[in-house]
Amino acid sequence: MKSDPTFLRDLHVGAEFDAQLCMNCGTCTALCPLGIELMPRKLFRRALLGDREGVLGQKDTIYSCLLCRLCEANCPAGVHIAENVRTLRVALNRELFGLAEA
Amino acid sequence: MTGRRIGVVVCQCGGNISDYVDTEKVRETIEKDADVVSAQVQMFACSDAAQQDAIREIREKKLDGVVVCSCSPKLHTATFRAMAERAGLNPYQYTQVNIREQDSWAHTHDRGGATQKAIHLARAGVARTALSEPLEKIRVETLPAVVVVGGGVAGLRAALELSEMGISVHLVERAEELGGHVARWGNLFPNDKVGRELVHGLISAVRARENIAVYLGAELLEKSGRLGAFQVKLRTRSKETVELTVGSIVVATGFEPYAPQAGEFGYGLPGVVTLPEFKELLATGARPLAYQGRPVRSIAYVYCVGSRESPDRSGRTYCSRYCCSATSHIATVVNGLDPSVRQYHLFRDIRTYGRYEALYEKALRGGSVYLRYSEEDPPSVTSSDGQLVVKVKDRLLAGEEVELRPDLVVLVTGMTPRENSELTQALKLPVGKDGFFREVHVKLRPVETVMDGIFIVGAAQGPKNVAESVASALAGVSKAGALLMKGYVNLDPLVAAVDPNLCLWCEECLKACPYGAVRPVEAGDKQIAEVSSLLCKGEGACVPACPKQAISVRGYTNEQVTAMIDALAQEAA
Repeated sequence: MKSDPTFLRDLHVGAEFDAQLCMNCGTCTALCPLGIELMPRKLFRRALLGDREGVLGQKDTIYSCLLCRLCEANCPAGVHIAENVRTLRVALNRELFGLAEA
Repeated sequence: MTGRRIGVVVCQCGGNISDYVDTEKVRETIEKDADVVSAQVQMFACSDAAQQDAIREIREKKLDGVVVCSCSPKLHTATFRAMAERAGLNPYQYTQVNIREQDSWAHTHDRGGATQKAIHLARAGVARTALSEPLEKIRVETLPAVVVVGGGVAGLRAALELSEMGISVHLVERAEELGGHVARWGNLFPNDKVGRELVHGLISAVRARENIAVYLGAELLEKSGRLGAFQVKLRTRSKETVELTVGSIVVATGFEPYAPQAGEFGYGLPGVVTLPEFKELLATGARPLAYQGRPVRSIAYVYCVGSRESPDRSGRTYCSRYCCSATSHIATVVNGLDPSVRQYHLFRDIRTYGRYEALYEKALRGGSVYLRYSEEDPPSVTSSDGQLVVKVKDRLLAGEEVELRPDLVVLVTGMTPRENSELTQALKLPVGKDGFFREVHVKLRPVETVMDGIFIVGAAQGPKNVAESVASALAGVSKAGALLMKGYVNLDPLVAAVDPNLCLWCEECLKACPYGAVRPVEAGDKQIAEVSSLLCKGEGACVPACPKQAISVRGYTNEQVTAMIDALAQEAA
């Protein structure tokens, strides 16, 4: 996988997007009511590393998240998982559909 | 049967011994032996009450030797020698017999056998004690002066503190200026103190001291003499020889940053720098962050370069300790300069121990991304059309290869020992297999060396960060201070002695002695060996080397050792 520095350039890792705090315990994936389709930690890893294909390949998953925050409420590293999904959606809206931020 | 009056104490060590050794049987058996006039069992022989019992027994039964069968002599020899002394008995007529580490703990499956062994060992102790003689400690005068070798942060701090105690200090620095590595560093973890300022504060304090003499561009060439009065020769910048007499020597020669081989993780390619080089770049404080005129928008750090290598590759199998914390701290500094700079940390294990864990957390919160690589499959750093390419197999993506294109690659290099062969030779200091000076005991005697009066502090002893170096320097100071402030020290008299009638000066003992304690002297019409009781450690290498049995160690004479072997071989009851 080639890391693309231009992909999701304005993800603002360390600000709105905080998935780098993840310690990969898998609690989020275990709790997700949508089941194994959605694996936040894997998805975020690819986003953090600038994996364009890897993230775009999971586009449907990203939009299928219910934002129920079950994962977020139980995340031992305090990652704002649902917020991150929203941030990712905004970035994808821009990247894929050319939608400007509201 | 020697007509001696020996008392024996058998310790249960609260079950540590008595669970596996029948201590009462040991007592009964040994009580019947010749020369034994008292035998007791104690739950804890080292307890105050048990010591009081033993002291009463020594006085009432007029004992002239005591044996305590308990733990390793390393643990309680000093305790029971002091007890003997309080009872009015010469402390060198006390013998410690180890029936714990070398018996009860070793034979937990065999109570009968362990009990028999304890009896044998106790008898050997009695046999040695029966031939013991009262010995006096050797009193040595000490001079209140110290040579500190190395003027880095550890040496400077040591010099200042010794000077504060009223001890004269000769601070010897090989380079042309004081300060060492820290003088070139900017913000240091954990509190962002600037290395330059830290060290310059120390230097001006040292310069202001009347009892500190500084020698720049100077090296220590020779050392002779002994603890309390070493003669030391220095070569100064102007190639003059300076001779000093000092009570103690503190070695604070520091470390050398690991210099990667050309091509190691791309070292040599433009844009690949080491951690110290990157620190110097940052210390200039220039913004925006740029390297050789090109802006730096992303950085890849490769950890453990030159550290924790496999033993078939190098002797650098150790962790350099400071690098993980230093790099996490640097990531926060970069973040402060420009939060949009992407930072990737290619690590093996993050070891930001203790309070430095907060730095890792801070770096993480700042947006640093950590990728773990394995030793077997390290990252590669190459260049393609002037662009650096780093490939690493990310464990969290099940080993999938990630290709990064950073503007700068920082090789997180560890610490290596300095080239100091002349100094090592002159001081006869032992060096560990990692090349750093070796202490007597890493936990219990971390700044002491086998050479009495010579201390190793700071990163000369092993990788350390600034705080640890200074802590170790102060430990060395208190050791040297304790030695010199009183004006004298008492040394154990358990040293080698020569029988002038038997000695023919064949030089075998001289060859065997690792401490240079033997020299020839005239004795009537012949030459004989003389042992300096100040240099001798009583380790006994000379004893079996002597073809005439003319040399023996006090407290462990040939007669005593033979008697111990006879006692061990005797049939147990």
